[in-house]
Amino acid sequence: MKVKAETVLASALLLLLLGLVAAPAFAVLRSAWDWVALGRVLGNVTVLGNTLLMGGLTTIFAVLIGGVLALVLVRIRTPGRGLLEALMLLPLYITPLLTAIAWSWIGSPRGGLLNLLALRLFGVTLIDLQGAGGVIFVASLAYAPVPFLLIAQAMRSMDPALEDSARVHGAGTWAAFARITLPLMRPAAYGAGVLVFVQTMGLFSIPAVLGVTGGFNVAATEIYRLLNTYPPRLAQAAAWGLILLAITVATVLAQNRLLAGRSYVTIGGKSFRPRLVEVGRLRWALAAGTWFYLGLAVGLPVATLIWASLVNFLTIDPALMAFDLRHFAYVIFVHPAAGLAAANSLMLGVLTATLIAMLALAIGWVVVRRRGTIPQLLDYLAMAPLAIPSVVLALGVLGTYAGLDIVPIYGTSAILLVAYAAHFLPIGVRASAAAMRQIHPELEDSARVSGAGLFGMLRYVVVPLTRPTLVAVWVLVFVLALQEVSASILLYTSRSTVLSVAMFDLWEAGNLSGLAALGVMQLAVTFAAIALLGRFRRQGIAA
Amino acid sequence: MSDAVVVENLVVAYGGAKAVDGISFSVAPGEHLTLLGPSGCGKTTSLRAVAGLERPASGHISVNGQAVFDEAGGIDVPPERRGLAMVFQSYAIWPHMNVAENVGFPFRARGIAADIARPAVAVALAMVGLTNFADRPATLLSGGQQQRVALARALAFGTKLVLFDEPLSNLDAQLRLQMREELADLRRRLGFAAIYVTHDQDEAFALSDRILLMRAGRIEQAGTPHELYTAPRTKFAAAFLGVRNILDARIDNGRAWLDDGTMLDVADSGPPGRAAIAFRPASVILGEGMPAIVERVLFAGDVVSVLLRSGANEITATARLDSGIAVGAKIAWRVALADCHVLRT
Repeated sequence: MKVKAETVLASALLLLLLGLVAAPAFAVLRSAWDWVALGRVLGNVTVLGNTLLMGGLTTIFAVLIGGVLALVLVRIRTPGRGLLEALMLLPLYITPLLTAIAWSWIGSPRGGLLNLLALRLFGVTLIDLQGAGGVIFVASLAYAPVPFLLIAQAMRSMDPALEDSARVHGAGTWAAFARITLPLMRPAAYGAGVLVFVQTMGLFSIPAVLGVTGGFNVAATEIYRLLNTYPPRLAQAAAWGLILLAITVATVLAQNRLLAGRSYVTIGGKSFRPRLVEVGRLRWALAAGTWFYLGLAVGLPVATLIWASLVNFLTIDPALMAFDLRHFAYVIFVHPAAGLAAANSLMLGVLTATLIAMLALAIGWVVVRRRGTIPQLLDYLAMAPLAIPSVVLALGVLGTYAGLDIVPIYGTSAILLVAYAAHFLPIGVRASAAAMRQIHPELEDSARVSGAGLFGMLRYVVVPLTRPTLVAVWVLVFVLALQEVSASILLYTSRSTVLSVAMFDLWEAGNLSGLAALGVMQLAVTFAAIALLGRFRRQGIAA
Repeated sequence: MSDAVVVENLVVAYGGAKAVDGISFSVAPGEHLTLLGPSGCGKTTSLRAVAGLERPASGHISVNGQAVFDEAGGIDVPPERRGLAMVFQSYAIWPHMNVAENVGFPFRARGIAADIARPAVAVALAMVGLTNFADRPATLLSGGQQQRVALARALAFGTKLVLFDEPLSNLDAQLRLQMREELADLRRRLGFAAIYVTHDQDEAFALSDRILLMRAGRIEQAGTPHELYTAPRTKFAAAFLGVRNILDARIDNGRAWLDDGTMLDVADSGPPGRAAIAFRPASVILGEGMPAIVERVLFAGDVVSVLLRSGANEITATARLDSGIAVGAKIAWRVALADCHVLRT
């Protein structure tokens, strides 16, 4: 029998995902099969404890902050809700590496700007962000928008009639909220929690900046250290990868168990207008609180960064300050790697975003429209990276492709592309599958019967109808790829260095002003991309 | 000339359940065949299997003399190369294209130049009365207009076979009647063969040359509208086709005896034994025959609907508005010989 185009497409995608996701995951398992290394790593109780502490507390704080802000902005008549909600996306667009560095300038015990200021004015230092507290503080600020978005979405998709009926049957505002709304938000909160936990378990940038100097080492910084000693201790690094993987996979499975057996079906693809609660004067305090969060997560760090890129050196003495663009000139014209890193990052950003948009379209279609083993497998594989910290993914990619001569990508930008593609795949596939489900299947059937083949149908019907989502996915992945640290730091070579690595190098070398200038340029590119998306949106090209 | 469609032993299975369980039928060129039945009877699945949108488990399908599916021969032609057109229940009008682009899509999809397609699109739009709507975005049309766009798209390319999946079920009653007539006219003019899926018996009776009544994946009864209307063969067929009176009876000597001793003359009685008899309310003649009690009288427009009780049996009859039948009265009734059918199974 002639093989159908659908089968060819699904099989090709499966093959690709086996190389992109399954092989790296397997490589981690295989190379960690070294009992000595595993024993040594497990014996390092402090680092394991630190990692769990960072992951656990960051998750709890991020979900609390995100959940409360979702409540404040979606369910309460808080002044300026619309603007604040739009601004809640900002922390996602700034790499935690930059926020951490900015906060280290603001809040390190000696030399931190805030502490210097306080010392001069009151004779005491105020804060110490070096160590566990600082890491968890900055990470919670950085990751809070993830739970915010998921919980806000869950609140919007909840039928207000569910609350109304509780009210009619005798529950007060707060009773209805506590007994009905809160339990219904649980899946979103758990889901967001798991997402944050997986990402923070493998977090490199923030602990590398704020933790290591204070003696607070975590798994990702350990992996980085093990691979950058001579000779590199691969087995131990892989053992760390395996342990992280075991913890995150167990967490995902536990979450599935926790939510199994209960129906939380409040979502029918429908969006409701949630009923707004009046809280009187308190509303001003809530708005102020939200602004305060945004100030800490974005305003203060970005202002510090911009100021640092323009001032001659970091000082609190106005008499010594001089402003010019020499740091920009330095990173653009003098610094040996910055130009190359920027070019590589932009290229990787464009390639990753394009690849993810295409894969999201194809995989999303197969997963939503086809039945059988291969589509099922594709779905699992495409979602699996959600359970794999990016540092582990990078280890696996390294283990798979280093020395694999038939795919000679080791040491090139292509190996970064592989890691990025695997890491960002779930974002793309999730969004595109959701958009695909909104398309009535008969729109596709009708194109087939009218004479279009599979690819003609995709081109003429599915692509135009999902274009808004695909454009949004492209921009989001471009922005996120531009700021990726945890995987890049393990995979780059001097020729394939990227922006985040260049910034980390500048930080390690103590060139704070150059770093600030480079960071500001990266933010400028990011916000240019987002502004472009906004323009597309107004023209109706993107949703 | 070969048949427009030949289907042999078609089986479509979902998991273990057979949605279509070994049906066979053929459609002659220019013929209108309707697949009629309640939801879940497999009629839409059969249609989609002919279109190539559903993969059968086994069987054979050919379209215009060419095999498009044959399990044994390893043939499964994709929908785009089966040379047919289809009107979908949801209309399936592409929201990102205007009316002319929707109708012209069968040309574009097959790589035919726009200047060749344009006159055909214009003709198709004229046929459905949408000439002035060509540049209108498809999403700004009413349901009835979208239905016409779907029809124009199916006819524009001039395929000899058009499939219809409950095309009128989303329209309001008045529009449905109007579209039914237009559809009949168009088919007479253009001469395409049609397979038409519906659960509406009136629609089936009005449009079809032949009807396949389906039940649970099988063909319950096949025939012309007239045959099905006048002589349903099974209880299911009779009930689905609106025969109100279906009564258990004992057949003996060319006559049917109800449990309470009422005797009725029947056409084509067949062998003696237990069976069901069926007759329409309009076939009941009041004022002569066996006695019964009037239980209920309902005003039904042109006539009154009268419910009679005879022992445990309820019989629905119709009477003239001025017949003056009163609840509780005793009345005699019988059924015209030719209209009283014995049902097997």
